[in-house]
Amino acid sequence: MATIKVNGKTVTADESMTVLAVARREGIDIPTLCFHEGLGPYGACRLCVVEAESPQLRRSLVTSCTLAVSEGLSVETETPLVAASRRIIFELLLGRTPDSSRLREMAKRYGVETSRFRAAESDDCVRCGLCVRACRDKIGVAAISFAGRGQKRRVTAEFGKLSEACVGCGACANVCPTGAVRLEDKGGERTIFLKNNLIGRFPLVRCGNCGTPYATKQFLDHVASRNSEQPRTKQGGLCPECERAHYAEAIVAEFSAS
Amino acid sequence: MQPVDDVLSRYPEVRGNLISVLHEIQSRYNYLPEDVLMYLAKKTGVPITRLYSIATFYHLFSLTPKGKHQIQVCLGTACHVKGSQRILDELKRKLDVEEGETTKDMRYTLDAVRCIGACSLAPVMVVDKDTHGNVTTKKATDIVKKIEKEG
Repeated sequence: MATIKVNGKTVTADESMTVLAVARREGIDIPTLCFHEGLGPYGACRLCVVEAESPQLRRSLVTSCTLAVSEGLSVETETPLVAASRRIIFELLLGRTPDSSRLREMAKRYGVETSRFRAAESDDCVRCGLCVRACRDKIGVAAISFAGRGQKRRVTAEFGKLSEACVGCGACANVCPTGAVRLEDKGGERTIFLKNNLIGRFPLVRCGNCGTPYATKQFLDHVASRNSEQPRTKQGGLCPECERAHYAEAIVAEFSAS
Repeated sequence: MQPVDDVLSRYPEVRGNLISVLHEIQSRYNYLPEDVLMYLAKKTGVPITRLYSIATFYHLFSLTPKGKHQIQVCLGTACHVKGSQRILDELKRKLDVEEGETTKDMRYTLDAVRCIGACSLAPVMVVDKDTHGNVTTKKATDIVKKIEKEG
């Protein structure tokens, strides 16, 4: 445990925590785009910058999502310098993604409604890498990645084509902070788009009980290949809702039998 | 895919040496063909998206075939102020290609580079492995004519 100061208030926190985690625990709002609790620190969007100072660190701007708690650390989350940095970051982000409502809303709270910058090509992607990391680090598929560099950096499947490895789980669309990854379930079919590029197209498997299309076969196979058999679940064929009901009934049956 | 297997046999640890592996494969094929990358991914277990990411990040790698001769015109600061843009424009006109493109007969690939560290010779152009200094538009076209003759 270490004692640190957050906006003048003395708090204790474990050294394994980041400043961002501590601040959020203390109810302090810090904007982020590239941070997701399930994926760990990345430091790409720079929105979570705070002013930090410690015996080892000269007072400076640091991304709080990558700054570990250490004894004697003191951070300020809303100084004029922090606000100015966030404003310029919002402006830069809006230069590329002028139409993202989520980003506009966040920027508005810092008084940023227009941007002095304009990218040659606009899209909704802020290059936070959440989709790439979720797919690679959590799903274990790596169906999409960044390609190119600088202004041309973009998220794509291999060779800008339909992904061969994609299982259609939709984690990328789920973690996307701006809705740049679009997932659509329509007519028993799932499509995943990045901007106008089709990443995957899959028929959906219907639930064996209620008939609702609920997942792709590739995803179910992928889950099965990474899980051991669960004793009480009906192996496959049920949507999460029906599976839950089935599981509950199985437990009830087990207890009433004993 | 014998060339790929040859390269791989010399790298017991592929993941940490992806750039070197890709570099060697490119020197065998003169570019990185799609099917070769797919084969490499299958063979090594490295996701194809990772290979694609690296191949598109570094200027050194190309996913399209390169010409027999590589012509690079330096547009670094020193060369730029000595008028190298005019040399590039002249070569673009003479070879009928844009920057980064290859002539239809697959003989020349024209690239612009940002400083090759020979600023005292500015403006500089590199043809295959030879560096030419104090280049003028006349000298540039003469150099191309000379390799044209040599084949």
